[in-house]
Amino acid sequence: MKHTLRIFSLLLGLAIVLCWAIPRQPEEGGIAKIKERGFLLWGSDAEGGAPYVFPSPDDPSKLIGFEVDLAGAIARELGVKARQSQNAWDSLVPALQRGDFDFAMNGIEITPQRKQEILFSAPYYIYTEQLTVRKDEGVIQSIEDLKGKKVGTLSGAAAQDILEDIGGVDIKIYSGQVEPYEDLALGRLDAVLLDLPIAAYYAKPNPMLKYAGPPAGEGFYGIAIRKGDDELKRAVDEILLRLLKSGELKSIYQKWDLWNEKQEGLLLNLGGPAGGARLEESRNAPLHTFFPMLLKGAGITIFISTASMALAISLGLALTVLRLYGRPPLSSLATAYIELYRGTPLLIQLYILYYGLPNIGISLSPVVAAFLGLGMNYAAYEAEIYRAGIMSVPKGQTEAAFSLGMTQTVALRRVVLPQALRIATPGITNDFIALFKDSSLVSVIAMVELTKTYGILAASTLRFFELGLIVALLYLAMSYPLSVFARRLEDRLKGVKG
Amino acid sequence: MIRISGLHKYFGDQVLFSGVDLDIQKGEVVVLIGPSGSGKSTFLRCINGLEYFQKGEIHVDGIELHSINRTRPGKKDLEAIRNVRLKVGMVFQQFNLFPHMTALGNIIEGPVTVLGIDKASAVDNAVALLKRINLEGKVDCRPEELSGGEQQRVAIARALAMKPGTMLFDEPTSSLDPEMVGEVLSVIKDLVNDGMTTIIATHEMAFAREVAHRVIVFDKGEIIETGPPEEIFTNPKAERTRTFLRRILKD
Repeated sequence: MKHTLRIFSLLLGLAIVLCWAIPRQPEEGGIAKIKERGFLLWGSDAEGGAPYVFPSPDDPSKLIGFEVDLAGAIARELGVKARQSQNAWDSLVPALQRGDFDFAMNGIEITPQRKQEILFSAPYYIYTEQLTVRKDEGVIQSIEDLKGKKVGTLSGAAAQDILEDIGGVDIKIYSGQVEPYEDLALGRLDAVLLDLPIAAYYAKPNPMLKYAGPPAGEGFYGIAIRKGDDELKRAVDEILLRLLKSGELKSIYQKWDLWNEKQEGLLLNLGGPAGGARLEESRNAPLHTFFPMLLKGAGITIFISTASMALAISLGLALTVLRLYGRPPLSSLATAYIELYRGTPLLIQLYILYYGLPNIGISLSPVVAAFLGLGMNYAAYEAEIYRAGIMSVPKGQTEAAFSLGMTQTVALRRVVLPQALRIATPGITNDFIALFKDSSLVSVIAMVELTKTYGILAASTLRFFELGLIVALLYLAMSYPLSVFARRLEDRLKGVKG
Repeated sequence: MIRISGLHKYFGDQVLFSGVDLDIQKGEVVVLIGPSGSGKSTFLRCINGLEYFQKGEIHVDGIELHSINRTRPGKKDLEAIRNVRLKVGMVFQQFNLFPHMTALGNIIEGPVTVLGIDKASAVDNAVALLKRINLEGKVDCRPEELSGGEQQRVAIARALAMKPGTMLFDEPTSSLDPEMVGEVLSVIKDLVNDGMTTIIATHEMAFAREVAHRVIVFDKGEIIETGPPEEIFTNPKAERTRTFLRRILKD
């Protein structure tokens, strides 16, 4: 018995250490590192959408946008290729600090608060805040009229600071840039204040909406670089200056219809706006163009769910055995584990695992964090299912095993567990289905699985409905066979039990 | 040989045994009778360590079981208990066959996993045992496919497969339908005739009278009378024995 317990706890410890020890891709920055690696890894959020970074309407597995072009130009100047790293916008800065990529570029405004945490390159774009209202709006003419009104903006955006400075504004914070304009059109908001490039793509084409007053509150977008990585900052600044002088930066902005007089502060040359109907195109693209990306997302969902379930099943078993048969410190530790993981939200556990642990020097890759987060959480539930199964095996079974001279361990392995697992199987299958759907939560830690893929595609195409149906069907196609399997198993076990 | 001396067992404040002594010779057949709840069952279970006791000693073929006052027995205690169990087979009132194994699987489980006997010879032995209890046709049946009487016969074969020196029967026919009692008792009789040391707790008085070398009458956790069956059943000395026999023989 003692022997088995020792092996179990050893395995448990080993699994944890192993997972922590698996290194992430890039660590320290530095030009030499980037050149050696052969590509520049830059962080952004494709769910943020057009015109910054979004899936191409021709091939949704490719990203386009003015920042994609700019990142490409910077990488080319460094003599390498550019590679995007997908991250939720709110977590770009923490992910940068973790060392997940070389720099972040995604409409990040240069603000004093952010400057305390990270370095900024020289500004690469001068944005203004554009107030948008409904077509029939008569009262709100400018920012001064916003007192007491419901105004939407993005979480962490500079527009939020402007609104807070006015005072008395009912600020509604969104995490995506599509939703505030939708809510405005539906009358849930009175106005939306957001960066002009966003307004130009999401509000201007909408016939229900109009701009109110001229752009206000000028500011700069900068490339976010880790503190201490001054070498990269100098290099990026030089490259930006070069792109500025050569006119390449301007032509990128013209291509995306982002050129305006304000940019004169940045650039010396002037030019007229060029066409930018890319978004319109992706809104009308045939649905099948999205399939490869969605299927890839589904594949990642299957992979992460199956791997985590395997962890949950084995770790859960170890926990139950420790809880029921372990000596005092171990058994109460197992109980504490189960209560802790069942009693706190999975989302919080994922955040702590991915963004919290780096503070104490443990940095997990997204895949490992997702695998551990889901697996360790579900292990607590599996443990309880096993426990119920073990408790329902009659005491006489153990006594019969003992009377044959079996030790506790052998009795558990040969007599109790085989019966307990049969009883537990329907519950385990049921949990597998639940885990399948819960796996969408790992999108918060930079895993682009099916739900996140949907978010990215829908935000750029605004086709929430059709894509949503397809994604729901994909989930169903994955979980339904499991339910059928679970039901068959249950029927069969009912037949076996006497 | 089994020697029990000064056996004390408490269950919280409740006293189950306060000093029971009993010696059983090799080849002896001892039948425990007495009202339900008199402690027959617990007494049997103390002998193979399914119950711990708080004072006294039990010797089984030279192995000594000590009293255990802690909640968890120590390593030495567990080892002694296990060694006793290897010498003593037990048959339960509820059969307790393993439902996930066939009749054959139940019988070879102990020899293969505990004694490490190779599977082929364990199977040979099991088939011989099944023949002996007239169940050779049920080799591959699961317990749920067997009648109560058949299950209990398989349970006896399972215990015998370990080649024990002593067999304990804890009310082996009490949960059987009346028409199945006979087949189980005849298997036990067969065993007793072979000279197996046997201790049986039972309510079957006719059977007790037939097979017992010695009858022990239990009441409220103590032995109130002991003697050869003719004496106990025809001329009991203790008043409590008379009351018990009157009540049970009336049914």
